[in-house]
Amino acid sequence: MRKILDIFMPNKTVSHKVMLSIVVVEAMAVLLVWIFSPFAFLPTPVEVFNALGDLWVNQGLAQDLGASLLLNLEALFWSSIISLGLAYLTTLPAVRPIVIAISKGRFLGLVGLTFVFTLMTHSGHSLKVALLVFGMTVFFVTSMASVVASIPKDRFDYARTLRMNEAHIVWEVVVRGTFHEAIESFRQNAAIGWMMLTMVEGISRAEGGLGAMLLNQNKHLNLPAVFAVQILIVFIGLVQDYLIGVGKNLLCPYAALKLDRR
Amino acid sequence: MTTANHVEKRGALLTVSDVSLTLGGNIILHGVNCQVEDFVGHGQVVGFLGPSGIGKSQFLRILAGLNKPDTGSVLVTEKQVPVEVGMVGVVAQHYPLFEHKSVLGNLTFAARRAGSKRAEAREKAMAMLKRFGLTDRKDFWPAQLSGGQRQRVAIAQQLLCSEHFILMDEPFSGLDPIVLDEVCKLIKETADAHELNTIIVVTHDVDAAVAVADTLWLMGRDHDQEGNIIPGARIKTKYDLVERGLAWRPDVVYTADFSDCVREVRKQFWSL
Repeated sequence: MRKILDIFMPNKTVSHKVMLSIVVVEAMAVLLVWIFSPFAFLPTPVEVFNALGDLWVNQGLAQDLGASLLLNLEALFWSSIISLGLAYLTTLPAVRPIVIAISKGRFLGLVGLTFVFTLMTHSGHSLKVALLVFGMTVFFVTSMASVVASIPKDRFDYARTLRMNEAHIVWEVVVRGTFHEAIESFRQNAAIGWMMLTMVEGISRAEGGLGAMLLNQNKHLNLPAVFAVQILIVFIGLVQDYLIGVGKNLLCPYAALKLDRR
Repeated sequence: MTTANHVEKRGALLTVSDVSLTLGGNIILHGVNCQVEDFVGHGQVVGFLGPSGIGKSQFLRILAGLNKPDTGSVLVTEKQVPVEVGMVGVVAQHYPLFEHKSVLGNLTFAARRAGSKRAEAREKAMAMLKRFGLTDRKDFWPAQLSGGQRQRVAIAQQLLCSEHFILMDEPFSGLDPIVLDEVCKLIKETADAHELNTIIVVTHDVDAAVAVADTLWLMGRDHDQEGNIIPGARIKTKYDLVERGLAWRPDVVYTADFSDCVREVRKQFWSL
């Protein structure tokens, strides 16, 4: 009883086993709500499962998934290089206004930029990559620039007392010292990538992809298939999140040591 | 030649001449003058004591070369050269370390910054770990250390990089009596490890400062005839604890002389 009450207490630390139990119970609750939903138009889990099989076997879901994965990875690669480079360059006063201006790009809709990007790129693939890179970079650079800006002054002073020059300080304090936070930002942006992917693939459907498939199924009001694709995207996202988390723990094992609520 | 109340001195290790500092229109330091001499055969602990908010931390930054004073100069080492950042080690209040490096990594890094080659740096770091009783913690991350262990690593790191001069900002802040005794012991041991070692402690803790220091400088502000504070801290009093026979005595805190000295400093503290 005490343990059950504990999970409703603020800032309580719970064991891995208890957390796993919470996840299982909450997932089952969601499943039950779905099965017994009063909204008749919602497809049942069985219908969604059957639709997933059909999409996989008959409609080339595997190829579309592969196309989306590759597109997302390519965009993530370029946006990470650009965002991290710009964020670290905010240590130079001359670059800060540029980065602030780029971060304001978060307020721009991708649809409004499609025409400009179409003129600037030479193929459907490069258009999609450009749109995704832009969409991810404006968020990634914002979060990483904020991480860099929030490094306390005493970290820099500490490095200076160790006879480090300013370039070396940027490397040790800014780049290496915030690497675990860069991975966390990367994780968030990898998720944002999937969110934008469906829209971007809808703008240019030449190579297919999950986004194009989702739009096609939506157009034909095939809700079980729509749900199936969405669930697949969530599943891929969960795997991706997990793998990035594993990578973070391997590369930055010190990062988790300061966390209170694990 | 050293006796209980006398020690031979040879030249200056630290000279602060007419240091003044104004920040945002507020006068923080006004004409600070003091000199730390080199005690033959002894490392030393110098305390700068003063109430909170008087500008001790700004003074520490100037001593460390992190800030330049508006006027005056700070000369360090036996050669009495103007202080530059990196010449003086600083152990800040929360003992910063590189969180992404292991304990050994932090110390090796510091030794390499001081010019040692990789293998030599590792050797020096291992020797320092042994001296501070941290050999079994060499592969730990800083986040896995206790406060006391972290402090020792921070001191060891600064010793490896700056060699003989270390500034400590409020090292006694928020410690229970047992840990406080351990920190005092550690500071004294660090000073005694080499005759050129000079530990400068900036604190508002009177008892701990008297217990650990060989020389104590009391910082404070003047008052006008109406009793109003005149902005700008300066050195008000120097206490030579060697002359008083209070330095280098392990049992000093249990002596009447110690209690008298603490009382005297406290009385002076109230007038600041």
